[in-house]
Amino acid sequence: MDPEQFCSGFRYKRDRTSIMKTGKSEVVAKAAQKLSWFLVLPLVLILAFFLILPLVTIGIVSFWDYNEWNFFPAFIFDNYHYVFTSHVTLATYLKTLKFTVLTWFFCVTIGFTVAYFLAFHVRSLKWQIALFLLCTIPFWTSNIIRMISWIPFLGRNGIANSILLEMGIIEAPLEWLLFSDFAVVLAFVHLYALFMVVPIFNTMMRIDKSLIEAAHDAGASGFQILTNIIIPLTKPGIMIGSIFVITLVMGDFITVRFMSGGQSASVGRIISNEIALLQYPAAAANAVVLLSVVIFMVAIMLRFVDIRKEL
Amino acid sequence: MKKTENSNTEKSLSRRSFLKGTAASAGAVLGSGVVTGFPTVWAQNIKNVTLRQFGTGVSNLNEVAAKVKEDLGFTLEMTALDSDSVTQRAATQPKSFDIADIEYWICKKVWGSGNLQAMDTSKIKNYDKIVGTFKSGKLTPESVIAQGTAPHTVGFTEGANGTTFADNETGWMTLIPTIYNADTLGIRPDLIGRPIESWTELLNPEFKGKASILDISSIGIMDAAMVCEAMGEVTYGDKGNMTKEEIDKTMAIFTEAKKAGQFRAFWKSFDESVNLMASGEVVIQSMWSPAITAVRSKGIPCVYQPLKEGYRSWGGGLGLSANLSGLELEAAYEYINWYLDGWVGGFLMRQGYYSAVPETSKNYMSEDEWGFWFEGKEAKGDITNPFGDVMEKAGAVRDGGSFYDRMGAVACWNAVMDENKYMVRKWNEFIAA
Amino acid sequence: MSMARSKHLELIKTTKLYGDVKAVDAIDLTIDEGKYVCILGPSGCGKSSLLRMVAGHEVTSSGDIILANKNITDFPPTKRGTAMMFQNYALFPHLTVQDNIAFPLKMSGMEKAARYKQVDILLERVQLKSLHDRKPDQLSGGQQQRVALARAMITNPQILLLDEPLSALDPFLRTKIRAELKQLQRDLGISFLHVTHSQDEALALSDLVVVMNEGRIEQAATAKDVFNAPANEFVARFIGGHNIIETDNGKAAIRVDRVHLGRKSYASLPVSIQEIEFLGARVCIKVIDENGREFSVDMTDEMFFAHSFEIGASSFLSWEKEDVHQLAA
Repeated sequence: MDPEQFCSGFRYKRDRTSIMKTGKSEVVAKAAQKLSWFLVLPLVLILAFFLILPLVTIGIVSFWDYNEWNFFPAFIFDNYHYVFTSHVTLATYLKTLKFTVLTWFFCVTIGFTVAYFLAFHVRSLKWQIALFLLCTIPFWTSNIIRMISWIPFLGRNGIANSILLEMGIIEAPLEWLLFSDFAVVLAFVHLYALFMVVPIFNTMMRIDKSLIEAAHDAGASGFQILTNIIIPLTKPGIMIGSIFVITLVMGDFITVRFMSGGQSASVGRIISNEIALLQYPAAAANAVVLLSVVIFMVAIMLRFVDIRKEL
Repeated sequence: MKKTENSNTEKSLSRRSFLKGTAASAGAVLGSGVVTGFPTVWAQNIKNVTLRQFGTGVSNLNEVAAKVKEDLGFTLEMTALDSDSVTQRAATQPKSFDIADIEYWICKKVWGSGNLQAMDTSKIKNYDKIVGTFKSGKLTPESVIAQGTAPHTVGFTEGANGTTFADNETGWMTLIPTIYNADTLGIRPDLIGRPIESWTELLNPEFKGKASILDISSIGIMDAAMVCEAMGEVTYGDKGNMTKEEIDKTMAIFTEAKKAGQFRAFWKSFDESVNLMASGEVVIQSMWSPAITAVRSKGIPCVYQPLKEGYRSWGGGLGLSANLSGLELEAAYEYINWYLDGWVGGFLMRQGYYSAVPETSKNYMSEDEWGFWFEGKEAKGDITNPFGDVMEKAGAVRDGGSFYDRMGAVACWNAVMDENKYMVRKWNEFIAA
Repeated sequence: MSMARSKHLELIKTTKLYGDVKAVDAIDLTIDEGKYVCILGPSGCGKSSLLRMVAGHEVTSSGDIILANKNITDFPPTKRGTAMMFQNYALFPHLTVQDNIAFPLKMSGMEKAARYKQVDILLERVQLKSLHDRKPDQLSGGQQQRVALARAMITNPQILLLDEPLSALDPFLRTKIRAELKQLQRDLGISFLHVTHSQDEALALSDLVVVMNEGRIEQAATAKDVFNAPANEFVARFIGGHNIIETDNGKAAIRVDRVHLGRKSYASLPVSIQEIEFLGARVCIKVIDENGREFSVDMTDEMFFAHSFEIGASSFLSWEKEDVHQLAA
């Protein structure tokens, strides 16, 4: 890690002093370099302690052995062997990916639509802010509460079924409303749609309105403007939102458990079960594999879109 | 966290100053092994003691802590956790507790960690009165020992520093038994409308999409085994210690049922089981006794259905942290003696659990309560729990009958198997299926 | 044909209302074909609204817009025969130079090969052939401007509308591009309608300067006429380079290079020198009379150094009768 990359201001200083090429300037340059290391130190320490160290620990523990009450140093591949040979792994990853893809799809659709409405149809900034805050109101309560509120609503004798029965639309309660993949995806979309709205809205607000006018001037229809201008220019926002949603869903364990009635597995749930059963090395191995998969997914996404301009 | 550290410092200070001043008398007291009456100096010092207890919500009740303060003078801090967290804490954070209120199968898992210390039964006043289940495994001399991790198999160790379990009464206990019960299936009689007699009903296609089982592998596998055995599909050598083949067969049957949509949900916490049953999402499921009561207290009919194959039982007790010593250790012994002395027993029995020393509890229960809860007699008046809620109306009879009917019909105990690791993986596969 | 030629773009009582505010107030204007027209005015004078109405980006509140004998008032932008070049060029940042220019053709559904062929011709013309696959942010300001121009031109518009096209450039580049614009307009032979707030730009480029203020046209005339014969005080002040004096017949304007200092002639006024600005070939001197009115005097450096004008010194301001231009009230 080059500390200079963190403090370009000092790089400028060094460039200038190196041009002067006097003995004094070299001393200054060294001092500046020391100072730049010093300035970057807190960040390095924070990252080292709270990111690198835990990850390295997880990596190491994933090779350890364990029994009912303890885990101890070893160098075994059993944990990984199980992860890669158990048919549960594949089934769980497929299930988790299914949740991820569905959740992503609905979040993008909803997120894009809401952001589009806010950015291009709401004219005044005051209303944009007001409506945006309105979107965030459900997020003032905890995730868990927002999630389990669905349970009485969707249950066999819940509000949704009662209303549908009352209206005569259905004759028997719909079983698939609750404790089903539908319920899981519904809760995910409810929980994470805002993570899509915010970055997309942010990107859309940066689109120069004159571009829309220019496209209009060039004869583009509303739909053509959407597909040729707005969607391509919103890609970084969509991508940032997608990274949020995908990483959140891939790592989730609580939503899947509650909304599937404990009947669906996700990678996160397997890890959480293993932790609960004190099988830390097995959980660590699973976590390493999950982390690799998610990093791989994010890396692929970043290959397609440059999000740096948005940060 | 900080607070705990502070109180620790205070404690160790007071302990040290005490030891300096009264080393001789202390030695005398310790040597005598008499724990019934402390010299004045102990009695005053003990008020400064704080014991930290953790366990499942079942017996971690604030009423108990309040009564301890009143009767014994020292402070008991309670932490209630779910059984997975309890296991985790007992195994990995020995410094975070003084007393562990855990189940016997958890004890089997964590004893090897050395985080708990054996207890000298000669210091336990009511040791002789503890029911046979926890000593020989036999409730009555004629009883057959149930399968699984029966409490007596993990209740004793060889000596003060024992690390393995002993198969006889050695005078050193791992846990002092406090609470236990016989579990069965809970049903909604109003939604089922016919008698339920066997564990096989859990997988009866009649209840497709309306059954549930709990997702705690050590307990869930036992319910599953009860069902498979009752169906005649699997014959077990020992349900509490299955072979890999038995585990595979059991999970195969349940996986098939799961894929066919038999289960509405799996539950993990007490509240989830209550909600599933009360909302009518589920009409038959594994359940715990107080959960049945909680459903009934909402005015919803719910029966803890005795089944012909018998009960799956569980038991819990108090274990001492290996870190306990000196004054605090003595306080802990005093606490355990008090626990078996009857007040807590009555308190627990009036909620439907059983006490390890039922006869002392009788002193703290009305005749009608004793008759209803213990003897299986018809209630003469309304039966209320210690919190004043009406549990049963006059004329009711306890599901399953008397103590001896119920605890005498235990088919197996919650268990940890030799193939635990394998079982857990299979259980996870079942959940993921 | 000649009729059409003489009246290419015609605005008839064209009006833009924002609520009760008249941004453009019943403007009448006729522009001949092949002319470079600048609409000049301070910000908020309605010049941009006027341009956007012609482009079809603003709804015309009342009045008509006629282009090549067609009433295009309510036509959508593409059907009008106009093309607009935006202030900041509004290049699509995600598209290459080539695709930016081809954009209008793509929207009309033209095949990729066909539209690139057309783009090539234009790229040649604006000398951007080698940069065809660059993104806008890899181009200099001048190059971006040429891309914007090419994109506007690709639909073969009958009139090109330019909204402050030079304001995003640095002063040096501005003069250069200004010349290029004029050259291009001459080559293409179509009308350019160019909105600006810069007098220099308007005077340098225009065949016709339209000075606007508060939604109205103050004067529409050739650059020479606007400068030498401003119609009224507003035009005289806005176009700059004039001193306003009171005469018996009302207000009059005298060009700052036609007043003299230190020499008595047709009229003279005692003044004191307030400020001296040395501008190289020219020197500008600010003076004040007894009543506190300010005047500017512009002279050659030769003239300046021939005298010894000093700040605070007293002198006489004088001018010739024929240089006094009477202003409309």
